[in-house]
Amino acid sequence: MAKNENLGKFVTPAGLEVPPPPHFNKPKSKYTVFNFVNGIIFVLVCLLILIPIWKVLIDSLDLTTGYGMKLLPTQFGLDGYLSIFTNQSLLQPLWVSIYTTVAGTFIGLLLSTMGAYVLIQWDMPGRTFFANLLLFTMIFSGGMIPSYLVMRAVGLTDNPLGPILLPAINVYNLVLMRNFFEGIPKSLFESADLDGCTPMGMFWRIALPLSKAALASIGLMFAVAYWNDYTNFKLYITNRNLYNFQMKLRDMMQSSDLPEAVGSATENTIRNACIITAILPFMVLYPFLQKYFVKGINIGAVKE
Amino acid sequence: MASTTSNGTIQVKKKPLLQRMQKYWGFYLMFIPVLVFVAVFHYAPMFGIRYAFYSWKIIGDPVWVGLANFEKLFRQSQFTTSFWNTIVFSVVKLLLNTGMAVIISLLLNEMISLKFKKLSQTIIYLPHFMSWVVTASVFSLLLSPSENGLVNQLLIRMGLIDKGIYYLADKQQWRVWYYIINVWRETGWQTIIFMATLTGIDPGIYEAASIDGAGRWQKMWYVTFPALGNTIITVLILNLAKIMNLFESVFVLQNDSVRRATNVLQTYVYYQTFNSGASADYGYTTAVGLFRSLVGLALMLICNYASKKVRGRGIV
Repeated sequence: MAKNENLGKFVTPAGLEVPPPPHFNKPKSKYTVFNFVNGIIFVLVCLLILIPIWKVLIDSLDLTTGYGMKLLPTQFGLDGYLSIFTNQSLLQPLWVSIYTTVAGTFIGLLLSTMGAYVLIQWDMPGRTFFANLLLFTMIFSGGMIPSYLVMRAVGLTDNPLGPILLPAINVYNLVLMRNFFEGIPKSLFESADLDGCTPMGMFWRIALPLSKAALASIGLMFAVAYWNDYTNFKLYITNRNLYNFQMKLRDMMQSSDLPEAVGSATENTIRNACIITAILPFMVLYPFLQKYFVKGINIGAVKE
Repeated sequence: MASTTSNGTIQVKKKPLLQRMQKYWGFYLMFIPVLVFVAVFHYAPMFGIRYAFYSWKIIGDPVWVGLANFEKLFRQSQFTTSFWNTIVFSVVKLLLNTGMAVIISLLLNEMISLKFKKLSQTIIYLPHFMSWVVTASVFSLLLSPSENGLVNQLLIRMGLIDKGIYYLADKQQWRVWYYIINVWRETGWQTIIFMATLTGIDPGIYEAASIDGAGRWQKMWYVTFPALGNTIITVLILNLAKIMNLFESVFVLQNDSVRRATNVLQTYVYYQTFNSGASADYGYTTAVGLFRSLVGLALMLICNYASKKVRGRGIV
């Protein structure tokens, strides 16, 4: 019995009872106050992120104008979206966004991979010069106006090729790609070279197939940049028929010059529906492709 | 290519340059498209910098004015305001975003439920993929003074204000909301880099600390935080080098009533050139752009030097 009384207590060999050391008997349970509060904090953080998006989403589905605080549409209807997809003045910018994104991502990936592949040829004469030529553009630029004047001189203003070609050369992405290529074992290239494979053959048969993950994440970075591009359109495009969806959205937010509504869609409904349409492609893809999105930032910055 | 010289040492002779280049002809061919793009879009504009020393109203010929554009620039209060705004907006934004990202990462790292952790990460990364135009649209609706503006309605209901306030049209309020919107959009994305560092910490260090009697807070303070230190400095340096590029986020959130007070260098150049009709002087705005590029270059070199000191490698 005497032994049981001492259970859970700290007793010195001499029989003296002492308080337990501070780290002893700390609750191992998951349900501590800290974890509870931490959980609450993240519920709040997530709500703060989601509420603005949620608000736009329900407003895009609501056919009544009016009171701002509500969790669900008061009068549900898809008329906002119908107004977009039946209206040429909104479909045209959507189409411009789609083709500039597809074409730009393709050209961007091609330039980044080819450039990166050349930059890993360590013994190539002139390699360092080429690398420095690219890197210098990251630290110094001619500026907005000289760029505009060049674009105008080569006929790329008011031309959809302007916003397609200009962002396609992205030195940052090219360097990311190079970092990835450096991870491919050199022996693979050497043995292919001995077997008589041409440089271009090694590029298509070794470098690209081994970098699918990097291609996916850099391709996504390009795609997001093209879809979200506003600055290049703002600077180089004045013809309204060549506006992309971001330009059109900005225009609609600033003026009351809205396209004709279908059914009972209000101005507010159409505006909100346009915002949702602008983010929809990546919101739908994002949960499935999150790891590729996240990988892009980690290839370059964290791994040293 | 080894040959023995008269005194018996072996010299390795390189092949002649042309012969070595010949081996790589396929690679040179592959690099041509990249060179063309870089030449047209990056190097050709650099030759346009000469207009900084001209006065040029686009119609007619450029007139040589020497350094007059730069003298004019420092006398314009608009320019000074824009310059300081560029610095202040970027630095405050950088410190706020990084600070918040560190706090969020530390808390995220302590999260027990892996599912909830993953879900939270997915949600906080989300705004990063929305364009600045979309972000500005969302917040201009949210902050609208009309009865549909959520923020105003909430404050009215709580009895804090009587009628809606047009936040983005007041220059003081605008700044506050500019920072809030930036934190909303970028903090989550910035946590990625800190989370990567945190997951890289050896769990053995935590165990050792536990055995030595360290509690949760002590472990956070003495183990986690120092490990993050290097990453925090890296993030600050990398972003400090780019602060002169500030444009789109400011541009899309501006409106006529706050424009003069909230211009940054890039938006100032834009409005001076494309929004002032026939009086636009391309020479003057090129000069402003050159000034911006030079400050950017200086920052880049300083940060590169700092980066080499701190983490042993440069940023470019």
